[in-house]
Amino acid sequence: MDRRRIRVLLVEDEEIHRVLARAVLRAAGVEADEAENGAEAVRRVRERVGGGGAYDLILTDKQMPVMDGHEATRQIRAMGVTTPIVAVSSDSLPSDVQAFTAAGADDFTPKPLTKEKVGHILSKFGLA
Amino acid sequence: MMDLSEPTMDYSNLRRQITFMKKSFFDQGYLDEQFNQLEELQDESSPNFVEEVVALFLKDSPRLLSNIEQTIGKYPQDFYRLDSLVHQLKGSGSSIGAVRMKNECSVFKAHCNDRNLEGCRRSLQKMKREHATLKQKLESYFQLLRQVGPREHAVNSRK
Repeated sequence: MDRRRIRVLLVEDEEIHRVLARAVLRAAGVEADEAENGAEAVRRVRERVGGGGAYDLILTDKQMPVMDGHEATRQIRAMGVTTPIVAVSSDSLPSDVQAFTAAGADDFTPKPLTKEKVGHILSKFGLA
Repeated sequence: MMDLSEPTMDYSNLRRQITFMKKSFFDQGYLDEQFNQLEELQDESSPNFVEEVVALFLKDSPRLLSNIEQTIGKYPQDFYRLDSLVHQLKGSGSSIGAVRMKNECSVFKAHCNDRNLEGCRRSLQKMKREHATLKQKLESYFQLLRQVGPREHAVNSRK
């Protein structure tokens, strides 16, 4: 059975987290596009909406320069994009989760990303 | 330099040292399961993955600790910036399973939340001590791993 290539956008400013997420996603058979801040993520999503097909999943950090994950999530939702957005952050207090949910995120997972967490996310959104 | 004329005995001894050293990291609470997760991600296409991720942590963390120290010394106090810096350090440490560092970062963040500068100062000193110890242990560990060579990199010795 042909498996459609899953299109994931990883939004993360810190190299150590990008390296780890890249490896975890690759282990799950996923190659991701990367954005180093929320503004770049919004631009990439807008480009996809314009042509090329929307992302299947967006994984975003919270604290980033230029534009943080909350604002990027809000702007992506304001475009009418319904791609699942999962916040990935070291801060996992209920207030952090609520803030992301209020911005339009679909789920939240604390850092660091692991194979198990990625597997759960892909299954949850029908991408496994 | 290792005498390669007796590889079997030296290799076995080194393997034992590596296993014992790694076990001590877990037993003494320096590292948690995340370190094993890194090892599981290491394969032939990324034979030095664990060392690369640890190297990124050891590159980021001194800078962050230095920035935290500088920010603590400034007046008026900028607890928002302190929280942001220690947030980065906590995330970086958690990526390699540096549980003591991660826990002390949480203590520091609590002091920031309480605007307790003295608490932040004490916590920073602890973080610096933990970091120095962890750095020394990890550097010794990878030095041993390099001595046994590439075939060791595929081994995942579980706790």
